[in-house]
Amino acid sequence: MNRRGFLQAGIAGVGAAQLGCGGAAPSPIPAGPPGRSAVAILKAASYSADLLDLMRRGAALCGLEAKGKRVLLKPNLVEFASTTAINTHVAVIAAAIELFHGLGAAEVLIGEGPGHRRDTIGMAGEAGYRSGIQKFDSLFTDLNRDDVSAFPGFADLPEIFLPNTARRADLIVSLAKMKTHHWAGATLSMKNFFGLVPGSVYGWPKNQLHQIGIDRSIGELQRVFPRSFAIVDGIVGMEGNGPIQGSPKQSGVLVMGGDLVAVDATCCRIMGIDPARLEYLRLTAARGHLLAEHIDQRAESAAAVRTNFALPVSLKTIRLA
Amino acid sequence: MSLDFLRSTQNADGGWGFFPGKQSWLEPTAYALMALHTDSSSARNFERGWNLMRSWQLPGGGWQPCAAVRQPQWTTALCVTLHCLRGVHDDALRRGVAWLLDTSGIENRLQYRLAHLVSPSVVELDPSFKAWPWLPGCSSWIEPTAHALVALKKAAKALPEARVADRIGMGEKMLLDRRCKDGGWNYGNRKILGTDLPSYPETTALALLGLSGNRELDLKASLVLALRQFRETRSPLARVWLAVSLRNHGLPLPPLLGKQLASPDTMIHALDAMAANGALA
Repeated sequence: MNRRGFLQAGIAGVGAAQLGCGGAAPSPIPAGPPGRSAVAILKAASYSADLLDLMRRGAALCGLEAKGKRVLLKPNLVEFASTTAINTHVAVIAAAIELFHGLGAAEVLIGEGPGHRRDTIGMAGEAGYRSGIQKFDSLFTDLNRDDVSAFPGFADLPEIFLPNTARRADLIVSLAKMKTHHWAGATLSMKNFFGLVPGSVYGWPKNQLHQIGIDRSIGELQRVFPRSFAIVDGIVGMEGNGPIQGSPKQSGVLVMGGDLVAVDATCCRIMGIDPARLEYLRLTAARGHLLAEHIDQRAESAAAVRTNFALPVSLKTIRLA
Repeated sequence: MSLDFLRSTQNADGGWGFFPGKQSWLEPTAYALMALHTDSSSARNFERGWNLMRSWQLPGGGWQPCAAVRQPQWTTALCVTLHCLRGVHDDALRRGVAWLLDTSGIENRLQYRLAHLVSPSVVELDPSFKAWPWLPGCSSWIEPTAHALVALKKAAKALPEARVADRIGMGEKMLLDRRCKDGGWNYGNRKILGTDLPSYPETTALALLGLSGNRELDLKASLVLALRQFRETRSPLARVWLAVSLRNHGLPLPPLLGKQLASPDTMIHALDAMAANGALA
């Protein structure tokens, strides 16, 4: 084990995570599956913009189909904090509900299993979800405390237990927040899937995922939940010491797409982060498109809306040239 | 009101789900049983839940968290506590205590201690203290450590072994080591990458619960903070945990807000009843 690996293991052991990113890019990036991926970048100056109209446009640009599907919306609900940019904004969730009903979804539910706070419903109230979304309580499942069943094989584990609400869904929509992350580099549509792992089995935080490695776990969750779509809330994201203690960062965009690797790579480029420097994107690049030349950027280009996010102090080497 | 809720939401298998109508889990079942165990009119409910809980002990002494998941985890501590509250000091209790004594966070292992030595400021903590993880093979956190301390302190009265006392001492040191600057507790650590972490009301409540009973500890600042958190927190779950904990420390509390009991959350009802009956005192 080299010094870096040694440190990674040790840091995971003391409750944090692995230093998964920021190092030199060691090997070529896989080209990904055949074809190209569409990612839509839609400008939205604020949450009072017509988000539903923007999402409809993005859905059309990405060829999103949801007719007859059971859709689970997975926001990023992290903290009791109504005034900062930690959680996915309620307006984004409300617009997504309308979007999928409009696309003919058979069912649109909301689910989340926060990583360290146990009072999910209380947080949903604080984030304005319960007051801002009609019949929220009947639509929402606390995925930390849902009924679970086993899914065979997850990294080195023989099985992982996952919430039945998530397993039943035909389409999981990652309503992620555009944030830096002091261990993974960025937390976007794929890292958001940590909230699909139940705390009732794995704890608060889901430390088993840290032991496996944050980057590897992100990749495994993407493999386990392949029927997915992403809508990243970058209208106001978070920079600096994310994903909790950073500062709000206005970037004024929604980013949408069905290839979560391509969506996250695009978000990184918008944030001024080199996606090839993020280990979790390298690990998943065979299943999606990381390279810009394989991504069809629809509506805006990443370069046109790029606004550099301040990086976590631990990860200064991931800045996009 | 809370006892009525619990009696009316018990599942057919004898357990409770986190929410009515959901599958039974050990955690809400254990709290429901702690809430009901002194209520004579709930004897039948208690017996059914107790039987389910007992059936979930694994051969290794730990308890599985629900029917579907056959691996031991931190909720073993709740079962040990429940046995002690009932005065049941049998083989199941002894095996449960042995499991707790054999389980510790991996940060205490040599490899991790050396790694921490190389890079101590990533997560500031003392890895020499043995505490408890959510599940074996992971690192220690505040909540499972607090529950294990509650359990072992109760079990120590029936099993006065040096090993039990040693682990209690180590666990208390871990909690004190990880106390945040403001006197409370975050869910895991006090400082990461040079940044002080905030304390949370629910983990502050639990840490104080784990530390209770040791009169040598100076917990004044933490208790003052906990009282403030009790008044200010917007989390119903945190408020009931604070009520249980502060009651355990003998502090008088203003009445809880009735509004939170409109919640369908089994744990809130069970903890509310535990605060009222002083179940863990």
